[in-house]
Amino acid sequence: MRFWQQTLPLLITFVFGLALVLQYYVPHPASEHFLQEISLWSQIIAGFAIVLGVGSLLSTHYQKITRQEAGWGYSAVLFVSLLTVFGAGLWAEGKAEGTFFGWLYDYVLVALQGTMFSLLAFFVASAAYRAFRARTPEATILLSAAVLVMAGRVPLGESLLPGVGTLADWIMTVPNTAAQRGILIGVSLGAIATSIKIIFGIERAYLGGGDGA
Amino acid sequence: MREFTLRLLQLDRRFIFVLMSVATVLPLLYPLGLPVRISPETQQLYDTLERLPERSVVLLSLDYDPASKPELHPMTVSLLRHAFARNLRVVALTLWPTGTSMAESAVTRGAAEAGKTDGTDYVFLGYGPGEANAIISLGQSLAAAFPADYAGRKTEGLPVLAGVHSLRDIDYALSLSAGFPGLDTWYVYGKEKYGFELGGGCTAVSAPKFYPLLQTGQITGLLGGLRGAAEYETLLNQTGKATAGMDAQSATHFLIIGLIVICNVCYLLSGRKA
Repeated sequence: MRFWQQTLPLLITFVFGLALVLQYYVPHPASEHFLQEISLWSQIIAGFAIVLGVGSLLSTHYQKITRQEAGWGYSAVLFVSLLTVFGAGLWAEGKAEGTFFGWLYDYVLVALQGTMFSLLAFFVASAAYRAFRARTPEATILLSAAVLVMAGRVPLGESLLPGVGTLADWIMTVPNTAAQRGILIGVSLGAIATSIKIIFGIERAYLGGGDGA
Repeated sequence: MREFTLRLLQLDRRFIFVLMSVATVLPLLYPLGLPVRISPETQQLYDTLERLPERSVVLLSLDYDPASKPELHPMTVSLLRHAFARNLRVVALTLWPTGTSMAESAVTRGAAEAGKTDGTDYVFLGYGPGEANAIISLGQSLAAAFPADYAGRKTEGLPVLAGVHSLRDIDYALSLSAGFPGLDTWYVYGKEKYGFELGGGCTAVSAPKFYPLLQTGQITGLLGGLRGAAEYETLLNQTGKATAGMDAQSATHFLIIGLIVICNVCYLLSGRKA
């Protein structure tokens, strides 16, 4: 049992992890063909992962409905929505033009997602009013930079305050770029370290069971 | 006075929401039409498309869903107009399943407006599953990654794809991205390995993270948010939805600046107690 649950997955991870790292440096046709095959396999596995994900989602919400847990009505809405869209998609053979599936996309999904994203503007304004205060010197610098960039990135700011656009550009290209580059280097080093730990079986959290080491 | 400032600091959020609505709607109804300054990153993208010889291949990856439509869709419209006006071949696709219908509609409308022929001047490949794997797969072989286009035709032999076997044959790739997978995925898994020219557009909130790539020349050109889209419309001398939205964005930015100033003045007057 341990072989199937731990040893084999670790072995597969080690072999394919190392092979794909080495593949990057080997431009031989066989190596390129290997990458082609692996990427196609990954796409196929991703397709099956969607089935698994949808199955898991339905199972969780089915249990909520049968047990009538708090908010089970939302789970029912999820069921109805998923089945309706899935059915409409199958009926229309995935085509949106002039179909009920397309109508659902244009007049339900687009409107809902647009509304959710638009709400951000209202919450940002409210949060800025409540939380953006010059409590410390660092917060004051952050606040000043934010105000300058907000003013400098819109035509009204550039018309009312000449030079603020150039200042906003400088903030974006110098201090912002320096900070972003630092973050990028840090994240990349972290990703390399984590990848090495996964390939060599030091990090095993992905195997499940809550044992991260 | 102190009591007044404390009360002002606890302003009902619904009042702010009303102000925000007014600041958004009024400029849309009564536009000011303020001029938009062109940023160097937008100019760079425009110039790169301008430099491409006729019938060069531009790959347009529309990596966004309806949530980001107001910011990214005007970019799609402008880039398609520019590419078709320059008589470039357009190969479009999306890495976001929820963006497929929107992307197909934008490409079809753009092509119809420019009088272009499907399969000869442009092709919409559809949704590429597998996120980064879709890019790697395209980098190895376009026909293997997309054996058929969105309309169900075999991609092998399509006139628009003549001489295009993989990402290595793309002259300029553009990703309009709202997150992952998006422009950075195209950079890491595509450009770095297959060596094509890459540019793109993104939502305003994610623009700052691309500046290091811009500065080193790892990406050529960037359209940042609605502002980037408005700049591109200005370069094309075409007023579209992005330009119309810039007045609303001006008003909302200044409303937020005003709110920040008021709350900080009140905070100082209240003896930093709030």
